[in-house]
Amino acid sequence: MDTPARRPSSELGAPPARKGWRRFSSRLRSSFGLYGGASLIVGYLSIIVLIPIAAVAAHGFTFSIHTQGWGAAFWHWHLTAGFATFWHDVTQPAAINAIRLSLWLSLSVAAINAVMGVAIAWVLVRDKFPGKWFLEAFIDLPFALPTIVVGVVLLFLYGAASPIKVDLFETWMGLMVALLFVTLPFSVRAVQPVLASLDGESEAAAKSLGAGGIRTFLWVVLPSLWPAVLGGFGLAFARAIGEFGSISLIAGGIGRTTTASSYIYNLTQGFLWTNAAAVSTALLVLSLLILIATNVFARRIQRRLAS
Amino acid sequence: MNHTTRKWSLRLVVILYLGLLVGLPVGYLFIKAFSNGFHAFWIEVTKPDAIAALKLSAEVALIAVPVNTVVGIGAALILARRKFFGSRALTLAFDIPVAVSPIIIGVALVLAYSRIGWFGGWLSSHGIQILFSPIGIVLATMAVSLPYVLRSVLPVLIEVGKDQEDAARTLGAGAFRTFWQVTLPAIRWGVLYGVTLTIARTLGEFGAVLVVSGNITGKTQTLPIYIFDAWDQNFDTIGAFAGAVVLASISVVALIILSTLRARERKLHVDLA
Amino acid sequence: MSISLSHLTKRYGKDAVVNDVTVEIPESSLTAVLGPSGSGKSTLLKLIAGLESPDEGRVIIEGDDVTDVDPRHRDIGFCFQHYAPFRHMNVARNIGFGLRVRKQPRDVIQAKVAELIELVRLDGKAKSYPAQLSGGERQRMALARALAIEPRVLLLDEPFGALDAQVRTELRQWVKELHQQIKVTTILVTHDQDEAMEVADQLLIMHEGRIEQAGEPTELYERPATDFVHGFLGPTTKFKGVPVRPHDLELVPPSEGAIEGTVQSIMELGFEVQVTVSLSDGSTPWVQMSRNEFRSLNVEVGSPMSIRERD
Repeated sequence: MDTPARRPSSELGAPPARKGWRRFSSRLRSSFGLYGGASLIVGYLSIIVLIPIAAVAAHGFTFSIHTQGWGAAFWHWHLTAGFATFWHDVTQPAAINAIRLSLWLSLSVAAINAVMGVAIAWVLVRDKFPGKWFLEAFIDLPFALPTIVVGVVLLFLYGAASPIKVDLFETWMGLMVALLFVTLPFSVRAVQPVLASLDGESEAAAKSLGAGGIRTFLWVVLPSLWPAVLGGFGLAFARAIGEFGSISLIAGGIGRTTTASSYIYNLTQGFLWTNAAAVSTALLVLSLLILIATNVFARRIQRRLAS
Repeated sequence: MNHTTRKWSLRLVVILYLGLLVGLPVGYLFIKAFSNGFHAFWIEVTKPDAIAALKLSAEVALIAVPVNTVVGIGAALILARRKFFGSRALTLAFDIPVAVSPIIIGVALVLAYSRIGWFGGWLSSHGIQILFSPIGIVLATMAVSLPYVLRSVLPVLIEVGKDQEDAARTLGAGAFRTFWQVTLPAIRWGVLYGVTLTIARTLGEFGAVLVVSGNITGKTQTLPIYIFDAWDQNFDTIGAFAGAVVLASISVVALIILSTLRARERKLHVDLA
Repeated sequence: MSISLSHLTKRYGKDAVVNDVTVEIPESSLTAVLGPSGSGKSTLLKLIAGLESPDEGRVIIEGDDVTDVDPRHRDIGFCFQHYAPFRHMNVARNIGFGLRVRKQPRDVIQAKVAELIELVRLDGKAKSYPAQLSGGERQRMALARALAIEPRVLLLDEPFGALDAQVRTELRQWVKELHQQIKVTTILVTHDQDEAMEVADQLLIMHEGRIEQAGEPTELYERPATDFVHGFLGPTTKFKGVPVRPHDLELVPPSEGAIEGTVQSIMELGFEVQVTVSLSDGSTPWVQMSRNEFRSLNVEVGSPMSIRERD
C-alpha cells in the first residue's frame, strides 16, 4: 500500500474557532437559539391553544375583563355570582340532556369499536389474503375524510330519501352510525401495532399445554392487548364526545338527538357566549375525568404486565 | 367450531362491518355526485362561490401548514434532543386540540380574540377583526391541525438517534448545516407524513371554522362551510355532493400518499436492521 | 504533544460517572480504555471529544485547553459503535463530508476521498449507500470519514462491539496496522480485554469512573495494581489469600511449600483442563494446565493433591 504516512502537521485543521468574545457570543447565540426557539413555540401555543382554552374556562364563570376593579369585590362577585351563572347554565334540562346523550353515545361507540377494533386488527395482522393492502388503506378513510363530507353522505344514505330505505334521521341509531364511522381508525390503529409486535411464542406455549384457540386468545393474547385497547377506547371516546360535523346533519333539529357539541353550537348562533362557555367547560371537565381514568387504568395494567 | 371455520367467520364479520360502515357511505358519495352525469357535476364545481370557497381553503392551508410544520419540527427537536422540565407539559399542550371538540375550539378563540373576548378591545382598536373574518379562520385551522407534524416526527427523531448529528459535529458542521444535511433528510418521511395529515385536516376542518367565520357566502366560506351551506340554506343536493366529492378526492389522494409512505417506512426498517 | 486530562469529573445526578480522572496520553500512541459496562469509559471518550461537558476538570489536546471548545473546533475524529453513517449519502459523500465543511475545492475532495477509499479497502463501493454495506464495511467507511479531516486525535467508541466475532478480529488487526501507518494519536474504548491487549500500546483500566491502572498491556497483566485489574485482564483465582493466575499454580503430591487438599472438580475444555481443589486452609482455588500435564498426573475427583506456585 503506497499511502503516505501522516504529515506531522496537517494543513487542514479544524474550522476556525472564534476566539474570545466571539466564541463566547457564539455559544451564547446557540443556547439563545434553543431558548429563543422554545419561547417562540410556547408563545405560539399560548396564542393558539392555551389562552383560548383559559378564556373558555374563565367565561364560563363570567370572568370577563370588562368588570370594574380588581379588588376583593371583583373576586367575591365572580366566585359567587359567577359560579351561580355557571351552575344555572349547566343544569338547564336541555344542557343536561345534551351532555348525557353525548356521554352515553361516546362510551358505547368507543366500547363497540374497541371490540371490533381488536377483530379488525387481528385480521389485518394475522390473516393473509389478496387485497389486504386495500383494507389497510380503507381503515384510514374515516380519519382522512372531512367531517362535513361524512355528515352529508350519511344524511342522504340514511335519511328520508334513502336509496336503501333506511331512515335514521333524528334517531340515536343514526348518530351511532356516524360516530362508529369516525372513531373506527382510532380503535384499530391503537391495537394493531401491539398485536403485530406479539411474537406468538406465548401463544405457542399455551397451545402446547393444550389450550384451544379461543382460550389462548382470552387468556394469553388479550391480557397483553389491554393497555392498547384502553388507549384506543380513550382516543375513540375523546373523538366521539367532541364530534360535530358528521352528526350535525343527521341529528336534525333541536330535540332528543341534540348532542353536547350541537347544543353549544346552537348557543353560539344565539350569541349566548357565556352560556356556551359554561357548557363547554362542563364538557371539557367531564371528558378530562374520563380520559384520566382510562389512562390510569391502562397504566396500571401496563405496570402489571411489565413486572 | 374448527380453526378454518373460525378464521372465515372472523373474516366475514370484519368485512361485513367495514363494508357496511365505511364502504357503503363512501361508494354512495361518488355515485350520487355523478348521478346527473359528469356535466352537471362540473357545473356545480365551477360555480363562482364554490371556486371562492376552494380558494379560501387553499389560502388558509398555505398559511397553516407551513407554520405548523415548522413549529412541529422545532418542538420535536427540543423534545427529542434535550431533557428539560416541562417536556411532558409541552407534549400535552400539543395534544389539546385533538382531544377537544372543534366547536369548543371555535368558542375558545371567539372568547379570547373577538370583540366580545379578552383581547377584543385591543385587537379591534388596531383594526384586526377575528370573528367573521379570514384571520379567525386561519387561527382556528392552525389550532385544530397543530400536533400532526410533531406526532409523526418525534418518534422518528428519537429512533434515528443522536449519533449521526454528533458525527457531523465532530466533523466540523455547525447547527444549521447539521440540521439541513443530516437531521432533516433522516426524518423526511416522518415530516412528509405529518404534513400530509396536516393538509388533509386543514382542508377538511368544519366545526371550529363554522363558529368563527359566521358563514358569510363568498367571503368567509371555506369549502366545508360551502358544502354545509349548500344543503342547509339552499337544499342544493347536487351542489353539496359535488363539493363533498372534491374534498373526498383530496382526502383519498392524501390517503394514498400516507399508505405509500407507511409501506416505505416499513421497508426502510428492514433495510437498516 | 499529547492529550492531558486533569481531574475530569462528570456526574449524572448524584453519581459520578467519570470521577476525578487525571491521565496523560502520549502522542501517536494507540491507547485502549478498557473496563466493564458502566465504568464510564464511553463518557470519558465523549468528554475528550466535547460531545459531553465535564462538571469539573480540564481537557487539553496538544497544549490547547479545549474544555470549553465545541467539538467542531477540536480537530478530532470520532467513530461510533453503530457507525452513525449518514444514511442518505453514499460512501463518497459520507467520507467527503468533513472536507466539504472545510470548503475544500471539489477536485481536492475527490482525490482525498479516492485515496481513503483505497486505504480502507472499500474500492468499488464509492457510490454505494450504507444500507448496502456490511457492518465491517460501514465501520471502515466511518474510519475513512473521520480520517479525511486529518484530525490530531482519533477517538473510537467500542468500534467493533456490533460486529461478528470473526469480523471483529480481522478489523482489530487492520486498525493496528493502520495506526502504524498513520501515526495519529488514537484512543480506543472497549470492554473486550483480548482486543485491548492485542491492539494497544498503552492500556487504561477503568472501573466505576476511576482509572485503576495505566501502562503497557504486558505490565498490567503481569503486575496488576489491584484485585480488580487482576481479575479483569485474565483468569484469576485466590491462593494464600492473594489473587494469582491459575496457570501459575501447579498440582503436586504433598510436598514442602504446597498446601494440602482434595480434588473437588475437573473440567476438560479441549486443550486446557481446569482442576478445582478444596484446600485445608478453606479456600478452593482452581489450577489451569494442559491436557498432557493433566494426563500425566492421573488424578480424579476425591484424590488428595496439594497446590503450590510454579517456579
